Amino acid sequence: MIECKDVSKAYQIGDMVTEAVRNICFKVEVGEFLAILGHSGSGKSTLLSIIGGLTRPSGGQVAVDGEDIWQWSDNERARFRNCTIGFVFQFASLIPTLTVLDNIALPSLFGEGMTRAARLRARDLAGIVGLSDKVDSYPSEISGGQQRRVAISRAFLNDPKIVLADEPTGDLDEATEAQVMDLFTGMCRQHKTTILMVTHNRDLIKSADRTLVMKDGGIL
Amino acid sequence: MGLLWLATQNLSRRAYRTVMLAAAVAVAAGAVFATTVVLRGIDQSLTRGLNKFGADLLVVPQNALVNMKAALLTGEPSTFYLPESVIADARAISGVTKISPQLFLSTANGQHCIVGNAFLVGIDPGTDFTVLPWLTNKLDRPFTDGDAVVGGNSPYGLGDVIYFYGQYFIVYGKLDRTGIGLYDNAIFISIDRAYGLAEAAKKYEDVPALGFKRGDVSAILIQIGNAAKANLVRFALARNPEIKVVTAGNVITSVRQNVAVLFGGTLVLASVLVIANILMITATFSSIVNERRRELGLLRAIGATRHSVFRLVEAEALALTTLGGLFGIVVGAVLLRIFTRTIGYNLELLNIPFLWPSPAEMGGVAAAVVALSMLVGTIGAAYPAIAGSRMDPYDSIRTGE
Repeated sequence: MIECKDVSKAYQIGDMVTEAVRNICFKVEVGEFLAILGHSGSGKSTLLSIIGGLTRPSGGQVAVDGEDIWQWSDNERARFRNCTIGFVFQFASLIPTLTVLDNIALPSLFGEGMTRAARLRARDLAGIVGLSDKVDSYPSEISGGQQRRVAISRAFLNDPKIVLADEPTGDLDEATEAQVMDLFTGMCRQHKTTILMVTHNRDLIKSADRTLVMKDGGIL
Repeated sequence: MGLLWLATQNLSRRAYRTVMLAAAVAVAAGAVFATTVVLRGIDQSLTRGLNKFGADLLVVPQNALVNMKAALLTGEPSTFYLPESVIADARAISGVTKISPQLFLSTANGQHCIVGNAFLVGIDPGTDFTVLPWLTNKLDRPFTDGDAVVGGNSPYGLGDVIYFYGQYFIVYGKLDRTGIGLYDNAIFISIDRAYGLAEAAKKYEDVPALGFKRGDVSAILIQIGNAAKANLVRFALARNPEIKVVTAGNVITSVRQNVAVLFGGTLVLASVLVIANILMITATFSSIVNERRRELGLLRAIGATRHSVFRLVEAEALALTTLGGLFGIVVGAVLLRIFTRTIGYNLELLNIPFLWPSPAEMGGVAAAVVALSMLVGTIGAAYPAIAGSRMDPYDSIRTGE
């Protein structure tokens, strides 16, 4: 379903060229939970952003269902991110001026529109992550862990085929971390959601079907 | 709910900044609104008043031009006279279709006049085409020698009796307000009766002699045919070195020069305020976009197109400046209401006619000012919106890490 062929990304700062990602090749099947393990600076987040259509690679292809997403127009990639991908970033990444419910329902604004159905779905997702009583709160009124759970709920709003999670449990306590991992594995098993999770935490890769290890931009 | 909803959420949750920015826009919008209403009032007063005036050309004594303009615009009593022969000369010119004389005199202070220093104008009811045809508010009978027509500013009503130079006049009609002083402040009587007043005045020792004799006129109003060329008629009239020919255009130009002097600074200030607002919106929204890089990157990650980001920033600026524009209209309207009398008094001192525009016209000006405010927002936020839409989403999301 997802195929990376010789994907590379180089940044040029002045005369210096830094290769963040080097000739990466791998495939991920539908419903697979893939963990990408690596230290900070190994290029795993950059790789995830390339697969998610956020960062253009310097070379190579990222094919989803056989189509190279980097051959699409910017609008097509935006639609792809809205309908097919769910992102979970390293930080909570919520809009501070929106309530928890609106933050979870936000992706619908760029798709079908923020309909009643979207808000109902957002309310359900808030319930799944244990935030039913916080839906009317603003991000500044809830804890960091709760914010992270809101961001995870948001990633699942549009029933994405693929979830790209970048250190999704970064600053969560153990119990919440376990809940999040259960949610990921549950979605993966029940809904055949493909999950690519980037982490430096070896404990988390136990939940994954397969693990790739990255170092200095390449896969070991 | 769409991008406008998201924009209003941002504005409402950052209430202090929103109010301050809207207030800055409101100051400019209020200034532009108030200035435009006053200028429009002057312009309309001129156009309406001088259209109603109905004459294409006005002939006055050569040395009375300045006095005539003052008389026309403010209704300030002015007295100057031409021999009657000028009427016959003018009537002989090809292209002249209507011609009517007016005689100007001022009432005296003392027991023989009900009010001193009022501007009396003698008209010829047989040939007049600038006063009697425009009367809508009048007695239900023909105008007679003992009647008077009062201007829109006059305290007298229909059927009232006015007393001048020991003679009584019945108020036959009242003109609508025009903003042109001559028509708003003067009292029009029959020219024959005016000559009679001059003779009657001689009976009173405490009244100075009126400086004209029967047959003299102060101004001659001329209407020319559609096919006639105004300049040719004017040229033919101007061969008489004792007279000066005035057109409505002359008067309008003269007033506009006064207006330019008075309002030039205000217009420059209003323009500066508008430009300052555009720059302020650009600077503020550049800062807002920069401060919200991560938010905008996130929106891109969850499906916003570049165009959506552009529209979001523009929508926020548009909502803000619309709010400011509406607030500015309220501020401008309140200021105009407070300074109504001051504005009228100062314009009158400067010989500038003024009539408040109708509520519908003020509504039109208000709508235009709100539209201008929206334009300020759109233009001001254009660069930040483009910059925001072009930001690399992933770099933006990682801002501050």
